Amino acid sequence: MTLVVVRAAGLCTVQDLGRRGHMHEAVPPGGALVPELLVNANRAAGNHAGAPAVEVLGQLVVRATVNLVVASSEPRVLRAGEEMTVTSEPLRSAYLAIRGGIAAPRVLDGHGTLLCAGLGTPLRAGDALAAGDALDEFAPAPEPFAPAEVVHVLPGPDLDAFEAGALDQLTSAAYRVLPSSDRVGTRLAGPVLARRADYREVSRPMVRGALEVPRDGQPIVLGPEHPTTGGYPILAVIASAELGRFHAIRLGGAVRFAVASASR
Amino acid sequence: MLEWVALGDRAIRFARPVGISARAIVGVVRAWPGVVDVVVARQDIAAYFDREPALDAGRLASAIAALGSLPDAAEPVRDVELRVVYDGPDLDDVARATGLAVTEVQRLHASATYVVDTIGFAPGFAYLTGLDARLHLRRRATPRPRVPAGSLAIADAFTAVYPFDSPGGWHLIGRVIDTRMFDEHGALLQLGDRVRFVP
Repeated sequence: MTLVVVRAAGLCTVQDLGRRGHMHEAVPPGGALVPELLVNANRAAGNHAGAPAVEVLGQLVVRATVNLVVASSEPRVLRAGEEMTVTSEPLRSAYLAIRGGIAAPRVLDGHGTLLCAGLGTPLRAGDALAAGDALDEFAPAPEPFAPAEVVHVLPGPDLDAFEAGALDQLTSAAYRVLPSSDRVGTRLAGPVLARRADYREVSRPMVRGALEVPRDGQPIVLGPEHPTTGGYPILAVIASAELGRFHAIRLGGAVRFAVASASR
Repeated sequence: MLEWVALGDRAIRFARPVGISARAIVGVVRAWPGVVDVVVARQDIAAYFDREPALDAGRLASAIAALGSLPDAAEPVRDVELRVVYDGPDLDDVARATGLAVTEVQRLHASATYVVDTIGFAPGFAYLTGLDARLHLRRRATPRPRVPAGSLAIADAFTAVYPFDSPGGWHLIGRVIDTRMFDEHGALLQLGDRVRFVP
């Protein structure tokens, strides 16, 4: 082992870029909430972009048992016995990579913890993390990253479930990211997205980034561990290129939505 | 009517063809260019791409139309037997609501052969069709905050086994023994499987 968890507050899990090819058995993709930040941590550590790293939603304190290179946004040498703290603030998540990646078993075509499928467990004090062999000597430098202030959405597909003007409501004012948000969904508070009273809920396929809307009209944005099917209608879906920057907005933060132009 | 609708910029949704094997559909759709995942729901199917859908609108429409005349999957349908104990906490309620004796509820449930119609809600949660119409009941008025993994349940026209501890509003009539419904190899029950419950 190379790192020992001293303290894990919030939710700290091993993640990669998620699983593919298992949604037909209701296994969601999972993976990092903010893939860009996991990739940056890996690049800074000299790893393959999608190597397993620790996702920190809260705070993580680790202690090195040997000298090693770790990275959150920049590489750093950690001496044996030295401690390091990784905090998700001011964003919603932060990532800790070890040079070589974290050694985690590959299960169902992925290394990440997927709580809804019983794969892996949250990190706790005393857990040991070992380095893997995911080195990439040609790893490019991390890229600049900032959370979104305005997020573009593609309207639909369930526009007929809403009163006329729901999209205008969505873009009319900022929404607040509620602290009850998790990796399943990000709960938002803001202008009510009124549903038609006669809409009959039926379980339909879901997608990461969908704004599903319960009867109360407050949208939930589906995250990496979303159920593959669900009964709430989808007003719009966040543009995939902006989903990581949306998920980087800290709990309590604000976001505005805009409709993507057709040419995007 | 539209042949398909966009589900964001990386997925599409279209109507599930009636009478076609879900397993065969998954196999074919996963072979479309750029498709990495497929979800089969009761009335719809979604295809998920690793980039903007590579097929243009017209080719997508014809690929979807072709699903309607798909032959069954090449491999034979799997038969799965699950050992169960009919001792669920809602057994008496189900008997009362259906006007049947508890033993008759058990007998009806165990004498049918079911088919995995969809998998959703939670990893490996298979919606089985084939439930005797006399056992069709609406969900419980108040869902339970925690249903234990392995619980055998009925609701509406379906029966299912909860793969994980989870909240749930179905009527619990028993439990599966000696079997895990989901493990590191994935879901025990797959689309199209024929399932029997053996007391």
